[in-house]
Amino acid sequence: MANIDQLSAARIAAGVAAGEFSATEVAKASLDAIEARDEKVQAFLQVSSDLALAAAAETDRLRAAGEKLGPLAGVPVAFKDNMHLVGTRTTCASKMLENYESTFTATCVQRMLDAGATPMGKANMDEFAFGSSTESSAFHRTNNPWDTERVPGGSSGGSAAAVAAGEVTISLGSDTGGSIRQPASLCGVVGMKPTYGAVSRYGVVAFGSSLDQVGPFGRSVEDVALAMNALTAAGRDPYDSTSQPCAVDFLEHLEDPVEGMRVGVVPALMEAAGLTTEVRAAVEGAAKALENAGAELVEVDLPNIKSAIAAYYVIAPCEAFSNLARFDGVRYGYQEEGCLSLAEQTSKSRAHGFGEEAKRRQMLGAYLLSSGVYDKYYYPAQQVRTLITQDYKRAYEQCDVILMPASPRTAFKFGEMSDPTQMYASDMFTISNNIAGNGGISVPLGLGAESHLPVSVQLQGPAFSDRKLLRFARAVEKSFSARGAVAPEFAGKGGELS
Amino acid sequence: MKKLAEVLKDWEAVIGLEVHTELTTLETKMFCNCKNTHDDPPNTNVCPVCLGMPGALPVPNRAAIQSIVMAGLATNCQIMRHSMFYRKHYFYPDMAKNFQTTQGPVAFCMHGHLDLEVSGEGAAERPAWEDVAGDGETPISREKDGSYVAPIRILRIHMEEDAAKMVHVGGEEGRITAATESLIDYNRCGTPLIELVTEPDLRTPEEARLFMEKLQQTFKTLGISDCSLENGSMRCDGNISLRRRGETRLGTKTEMKNINSFKSLHDALEYEICRQAEVLEEGGIIYQETRHWEPSRRRTVVMRVKETADDYRLFPDPDLAPFDLTDDFIEEAREKIPELPDAKRDRYMHDYGLKRADAAQLAGDPAVADFFEKALEGAPKKAVATIANVMVNLAPSFDALSPAQVRSISGLLAEDAITFAQAREVLEAVNGTEKDPERVVDERGMRQVTDTAALEPIVDEVLARCTDQVQQYHDGNKKVVGYLVGQCMKASKGSGNPKLFNKLLTARLEA
Repeated sequence: MANIDQLSAARIAAGVAAGEFSATEVAKASLDAIEARDEKVQAFLQVSSDLALAAAAETDRLRAAGEKLGPLAGVPVAFKDNMHLVGTRTTCASKMLENYESTFTATCVQRMLDAGATPMGKANMDEFAFGSSTESSAFHRTNNPWDTERVPGGSSGGSAAAVAAGEVTISLGSDTGGSIRQPASLCGVVGMKPTYGAVSRYGVVAFGSSLDQVGPFGRSVEDVALAMNALTAAGRDPYDSTSQPCAVDFLEHLEDPVEGMRVGVVPALMEAAGLTTEVRAAVEGAAKALENAGAELVEVDLPNIKSAIAAYYVIAPCEAFSNLARFDGVRYGYQEEGCLSLAEQTSKSRAHGFGEEAKRRQMLGAYLLSSGVYDKYYYPAQQVRTLITQDYKRAYEQCDVILMPASPRTAFKFGEMSDPTQMYASDMFTISNNIAGNGGISVPLGLGAESHLPVSVQLQGPAFSDRKLLRFARAVEKSFSARGAVAPEFAGKGGELS
Repeated sequence: MKKLAEVLKDWEAVIGLEVHTELTTLETKMFCNCKNTHDDPPNTNVCPVCLGMPGALPVPNRAAIQSIVMAGLATNCQIMRHSMFYRKHYFYPDMAKNFQTTQGPVAFCMHGHLDLEVSGEGAAERPAWEDVAGDGETPISREKDGSYVAPIRILRIHMEEDAAKMVHVGGEEGRITAATESLIDYNRCGTPLIELVTEPDLRTPEEARLFMEKLQQTFKTLGISDCSLENGSMRCDGNISLRRRGETRLGTKTEMKNINSFKSLHDALEYEICRQAEVLEEGGIIYQETRHWEPSRRRTVVMRVKETADDYRLFPDPDLAPFDLTDDFIEEAREKIPELPDAKRDRYMHDYGLKRADAAQLAGDPAVADFFEKALEGAPKKAVATIANVMVNLAPSFDALSPAQVRSISGLLAEDAITFAQAREVLEAVNGTEKDPERVVDERGMRQVTDTAALEPIVDEVLARCTDQVQQYHDGNKKVVGYLVGQCMKASKGSGNPKLFNKLLTARLEA
C-alpha cells in the first residue's frame, strides 16, 4: 500500500489504531528498510529486532484487547547509543563500553515506549558525543544519505541519518553544543534541542551535564511535536533534579499563523566568517518567507556570542572530564589485562579504552580544572555564560524567536576537517543556545544552490517557549512546502508496508 | 620522650579537628533512594546512582539537608541561604564515580562555635600562664579551682556523601599494601555525611576530647546520628602542630587518623605532641604527613607523606542546581531541635538544685537524660536529689535497670531504709528483671531499723565497751565517731541505720 518512509508518525499511529495495518507490519517494514538501506548508510550500531517485534506485538495485543493506544503507537524509533534501553548495549560508540549492557532504561526512552513507539535500535554517534561528524565513533562511520561520501554531521549522526534514509520515522539524539541541530541540517531533517530541563537526562550517558539536552529528529515538524508530547507529557522526572515541568500540547498551536509576531535577525551572524553563500541565501529566504507570512523582522544584537565557542570549550571539557572519570575499568567497561597495580589498570584501561577525541577533551578538562588554572579559565567562562544568557534575554524583549543558520555549511567529506578546532567551528551557530539553556530547532529548506545538499535554518527561542518555536518551524516548513524528504538514493528501497 | 606537662611548658600545641558524622538516622542515602543501613549483606543496598553507573543522576535528600541545618543551628553556625554542591575528584574504587559530591567554599553552615567547660585534671593540662591571650584572642579566665571555659570556633559544616567500605585481604593489618584482594562494599557509598571543621583553637588533648564529647552529645540529642566512634559513624581526624611559646606563626602540622575512641583521641594527640617536641628539640623537622594511631603500641606511625597538595579539581556539580534555603525551611529545622545538653544541664541545676557536674553528666547523653526524667515521674520533690545521686553514682554500673526501679531504690535510700552498699546489692538483684527493689529489700529482710528505742541499747553497749575511743573523742578527735558507728553496725548485724547510729552517738557524746 505504501512505503514506510512516506508515512508520518501521526499517520502510522492512526493506521495502527484503526487496524489499517498492524504495529508488527510497521515494525517489519522498518526492519526491511534498515536491511535494504543501512548497509550503505550505517546509521545503526545495533538493530534491536527482537525488542521491536515484541513491542509491536504488545501494541497489537493492546489494540485487540480494546485498550487505548498511545500517540506513537507502532511508530518505529531509533535511539542514540548514549541512551539506556534494557535489552540493548549502550556503547556511546566507544571501545570503553563496547559490551556494556543497559542496566536500566532512560526516562526519555521509556516515555517514547510508553507512548507506543517501537524501538528499532541504537544509532551511531561520535564517541561519547564528542564531535560534529560521527567520525569519532570507535566502530564505523555513518554516511550521509544525501551523499554517502560525506558525513551526516554529529554527534547524533546516526539518529539523523536513520530518519533521512527513511529507515525509521523518529529518532532521539542529544545536543550539547549542536549535536541534534547540526546533523539535522546536514541530513535535511527536522531536529530539535528543547529548553534545558524540558526533557529528562536520566539514563543518558552524560557529556556536559549543564549543556546536554535530549531531543527528537523527524521528517516533519509535526512528527517532532508529537515526539515532544511523548517526552514531556508525564511531567518532570523526579530522577533528574534539573528537569522541569513543561507539559503542554505541542500540537495545539502548531498551525496557528505567525502574523504580527516578531522574528529577530542578528546581522553580525549573517556576515560570520565560514558561512557559505548558499546557506546564507537559504536562511535569508526563510526570513523572507516568515515576513511574507506576516511576521515582522527585527534586528537584534547578541554581542557576546562571539565568545561562545571559547566559553563552551572550557565548560564542556571540564564537565566531560568529570563525567567520564567513572570509566576506570574496575567494575565494567574496557579493562586492561595483566596489570600489576590499580593505578596501572586505571591508566591503561583509560588510555586504550578511549579514542583520541575523548582523550583530548578529558585532558583539556583535567588541565582546566587543575589548581591555578581553574581561576583563569573556568570562572571567566562562567562569566561569559552569564553575559550570553543576558544577551538573549535582552534580545527576546524585542522578538519572539531568533533566526540564524544551524550549520555554516552543508555536509563535508570524510577526513576533510582534520584540525579539531576547525571541527569545533561547525557549532558556531548552535553552541550559544546550549550555553544559555534555550531551545532551538533546525528546519530543512531543501537543497543548496551550489552543493545540491540539504540546507536549513535554525530558530531559537527563550527558555520554555518550545511550543512557539515549533509553530514558527511549522510556518517555515509550510512556506517552503518542503517537508523533510527521504534522501532519493534510499527512498522506497525496502520498507514496503503490505 | 618528655611528658606532656613538661612539653607544654615550652611549646604551644595547636590542634584542629575534622569530624565526619554519618547521618545514620535517615532512611535513605544522600542522592538516591537506597536504604541507609550498612548491616545488610554487602552490595545489597545499591542502585545505579550510588554505584555511579553511566547515565545515573543524583537527587538530593531533603531530610539530610534539614539535619545539617539542625547541626549548624545547634553549634551556633550561620546558615548559608545560598550554597552549592561541588565535585571532588580522585581515582579510587571506593567512590564509584571517581568523584565525591561535597560542598565548595560556601557550606550550608559556616562560622559557628561551641564553648567547652574544662575542669579538674583536664584543666591542669593547659599551663596557667597560657591564659594570657595573643593578638586578637579572647583571654581565658579561670575559676578558683582552675576550671575554665574555652570557646572553640567552628569553621564550617558541609554536606557530602560517604565512600564505599573497602576490605583489603592478605596484607598487613588490613591495609592495601601487599593485599592480595581488595573487596568493596558499596552499601556505605552515598551515605549522607556531614563534615565539621574546627578552627585551630584547641590547645590540649583534653580540650580535643571534650570537644568531641560535646559534639557527640549535641548530635545525639538532635537525633541525626547514632554517633558511634567505635563503628565509625562518627570519625575524627586531628591536625596538630607545635610552636614555641610566644611564636605566632603556625608550625608544620601532621594529621592523625584511625581515632576510634575518646581515649584514642586524647592519647594520640598526647603522643604526637611529645613526639613532635622531641623531633623539634633535636633540631629535626616535622613533615606534613598523615599518621596512623596504633592503640596497641600507643604510638603514631606514618601512613603517607604529602609532598604536594592533592589537586581534587573541585568545581560546581552541574547535575545539582544551587541550593536556596528559605526562611521557612530553616525555621522548620529550628523547631525540630530538642533541648540541647547545656540548656538541659542549666535546667537541672535550677529546677532540681543539682551540682553542675552531676547535672552535666545527666544532661549530656540524651538517653541518660530521658531515663532520669522518667525516673522522676511521680517521685516526691525531696527524692529528686537522691534519684540524681543514684543516676550519677550507682546506675552507670548497671545496664538494664528501669526508671521505676531507680525511683523505687531512691525512695528507700531517701527514707534511710537501706544503705548505699545495700542499694548496690539490691540493684544487682533486680538488674535485667521486672522486680521491684522494695520487694527484694523486704524479702531479704534488709530494711534497716529506724526505731530509736531499738537502737539505743546497742549504743549503750558500744559506748561502755569502747572507753578508749570515747576518751579520744573528748580529747578532740571527732572523727573517731566513725569507728563507733562501725561497731554499732557490727553489733546490730547491719540492720541498724548508720545515720541514726551516728546521730545517737553524737548526742550521747556531746551530752
